[in-house]
Amino acid sequence: MKWLLWLYPAQWRKRYGEEFAAVLADQPASLGMAFDVFSGAIDAHLHPQIYYSQSKSNEGDTMTNEMLQRCAVGGPKPSKRDKDVASMFMIGSALVMALAYLVLTKIYRTRPAVEAFGYASFPVISLIYTQTAYLRKRPVVTQILVAAAGIAAMYLFFFGVCVIASKL
Amino acid sequence: MRKTKEDPELDDFGRFSEPALLILISLAEEPKHGYSMTEDIEMIAGVRLGPGTLYGAIARLESRGLIEPLKSEDRRNPYRLTGLGERALRARLDSMMTVVRAGQRRLASA
Repeated sequence: MKWLLWLYPAQWRKRYGEEFAAVLADQPASLGMAFDVFSGAIDAHLHPQIYYSQSKSNEGDTMTNEMLQRCAVGGPKPSKRDKDVASMFMIGSALVMALAYLVLTKIYRTRPAVEAFGYASFPVISLIYTQTAYLRKRPVVTQILVAAAGIAAMYLFFFGVCVIASKL
Repeated sequence: MRKTKEDPELDDFGRFSEPALLILISLAEEPKHGYSMTEDIEMIAGVRLGPGTLYGAIARLESRGLIEPLKSEDRRNPYRLTGLGERALRARLDSMMTVVRAGQRRLASA
């Protein structure tokens, strides 16, 4: 079961890896334990306490710093550069998706899967902007997982709507 | 749960609030490493914390300065309660006691 440790972020493994592995080794393997470790790994990616702890030790112990650090954990405030990069990603992805939509409609015409692609592209573009701006300081795995899950959820929703609409 | 001025530290732990409280109670006795905490918590509360939940709560408690690791040669790092952790634990237990007493009073008069 030690391989489950690789689901956690690198910084987390560096800090807690050894003792976590010792606790894992002391407990009998079970499906429940694997699920617990898996959900703990998702939490460690989404709420990285390590960064909070490290930044806290570097700053003065004032109430303002405390509040700022807590806000940073909830969602880092993007800099102007972060926003510029996110805007470039948004424009780039909009162009790619528009081109893909044109090609798909040319080949497959108005099938529900293509229609769903067209409808989903609008929220997906804003999702890409938000993800790029606000998740830039998160681990790459977190960024990929959150973006992929968000895009997949939106596409599936619109696909479902288009399939229903085509049957009416 | 009514909250006092001294125990806001455990408020933003989400699903880790209860495990975190149990860890603080376990460490109030003496410093312990992860596995000892699991055993102790199972004994006092009848709940066995999984490693993911245990370390999710430990990371939160440590990042907020409520517990701290002790130096150890062994890979099983022990933790102890800090002064802040002790105050947070006392405050939380006090607020729980207030609710328990109110509940018991109402049951007795029912």
